Amino acid sequence: MAAEPKAAVEVVKVDLFEDDDEFEEFEINEDWLEKEEVKEVSQQWEDDWDDDDVNDDFSRHLRKELENGSEKK
Amino acid sequence: MAYVSMGEAHRRITEYLNRFCDAVSYQDSSTLCRLLSFSSNSPPLLSLADALNVFQDASSLIRQSDKFSEYGEILAHLFRSLQSYRVGNLVEAYLAFEKFANAFVQEFRNWESAWALEALYVVCYEIRILAEKADKELTSNGKSPEKLKAAGSLLMKVFGVLAGKGPKRVGALYVTCQLFKTYFKLGTVNLCRSVIRSIETARIFDFEEFPRRDKVTYMYYTGRLEVFNENFPAADTKLSYALQYCNPKRERNIRMILKYLIPVKLSIGIIPKDELLQNYNLHEYTKIVQALRKGDLRLLRHALQEHEDRFLRSGVYLVLEKLELQVYQRLMKKIYIIQKLSDPARAHQLKLEVIAKALRWLEMDMDLDEVECIMTILIYKNLVKGYLAHKSKVVVLSKQDPFPKLNGKPVG
Repeated sequence: MAAEPKAAVEVVKVDLFEDDDEFEEFEINEDWLEKEEVKEVSQQWEDDWDDDDVNDDFSRHLRKELENGSEKK
Repeated sequence: MAYVSMGEAHRRITEYLNRFCDAVSYQDSSTLCRLLSFSSNSPPLLSLADALNVFQDASSLIRQSDKFSEYGEILAHLFRSLQSYRVGNLVEAYLAFEKFANAFVQEFRNWESAWALEALYVVCYEIRILAEKADKELTSNGKSPEKLKAAGSLLMKVFGVLAGKGPKRVGALYVTCQLFKTYFKLGTVNLCRSVIRSIETARIFDFEEFPRRDKVTYMYYTGRLEVFNENFPAADTKLSYALQYCNPKRERNIRMILKYLIPVKLSIGIIPKDELLQNYNLHEYTKIVQALRKGDLRLLRHALQEHEDRFLRSGVYLVLEKLELQVYQRLMKKIYIIQKLSDPARAHQLKLEVIAKALRWLEMDMDLDEVECIMTILIYKNLVKGYLAHKSKVVVLSKQDPFPKLNGKPVG
């Protein structure tokens, strides 16, 4: 009985590689030009998202929460 | 199986033998590729297999002619493998194919030029696929699967044949990629290391000279290894390379690259735009990105729970879990901005009590000591600039840049 939990761990480990995100095989002769499309993909990132905007729902709720509390005091 | 007469069987086998030997003597690699592509299940190969199963004694045909017997060993193993493959005996098919592959590699080694490189690629690919099928058969018969591991050793041998100097070197990266697929499937990714070292330390061959398809595959797998090792800047470089150069028509591959690149980018403070998540059907990241944008710790927790299985399976769960500190930073910034709206003069003082209240609202019950501990970590990790006034239970924020950006570097 004591061995059982150990076996379970091993099953999980195997399962981890069951669907192992194997990269699809390219054809032997497959070649392609870099397309603008893909270049765009690499430009679809943001690094200046950390703005000072507090007009979203979450911030408004947060504000209400914090200000309610200070009124109570 | 359709009926095949003895004469017809004889004709088909002789035709194949002729085509094989001609392809070798004319160095016609693409014909050779077609003659070896088992997994393509092409009609000519299937009808040859049927003929072999009718004729039974193909080796006598091979022996009869000098032209055929020059490659007798290669052809005999190949025929045996194809026969077993056709009747669904995959372990036997694998074993014979392994012998064929060894004989073929031996021959390839003796050919001075690299003309047969593509045929060698087919052999490498087929042996991996056949080994996987054989292992499935072994598992379903209650035996332990071991053929893929054996295929790995054979591929390593092929790598050794190619990795030296000379015109065959250009094929080394293809075999490397087949090895990666094998090792990832087997769960022995640490075995990738020696191959990587050989590829990356070779000064005699520029990486850029390898074919594009192999470079992209290589960068995908080595990028994933960097994710496992939590080396995020390197993972970013490699996976971004794979993304940039991948065939745009290969959407599944692009999606797989992004599946790993997104957590890496998030960990260095860069977020994907919504279109990217939508276009490649990566909705499991939508809420995580929202949580980061808002500073919503509750949403982060829920998003991680919701897709826990998926994230654990791909090995990015720990990477995503660490985003919590960035979400804390964002929340502190929101509190600071909100304070600035009502009382700009004292906005740079964050009371621990106020923070605790915000956390309570997000369903995280913490006493002030715990909050203080979190704030200490944020300051230590340089996500918050300022100091803790322990007695007055206040974090005093630096007036300059109190919430430094990560700027492409992971949290310290």
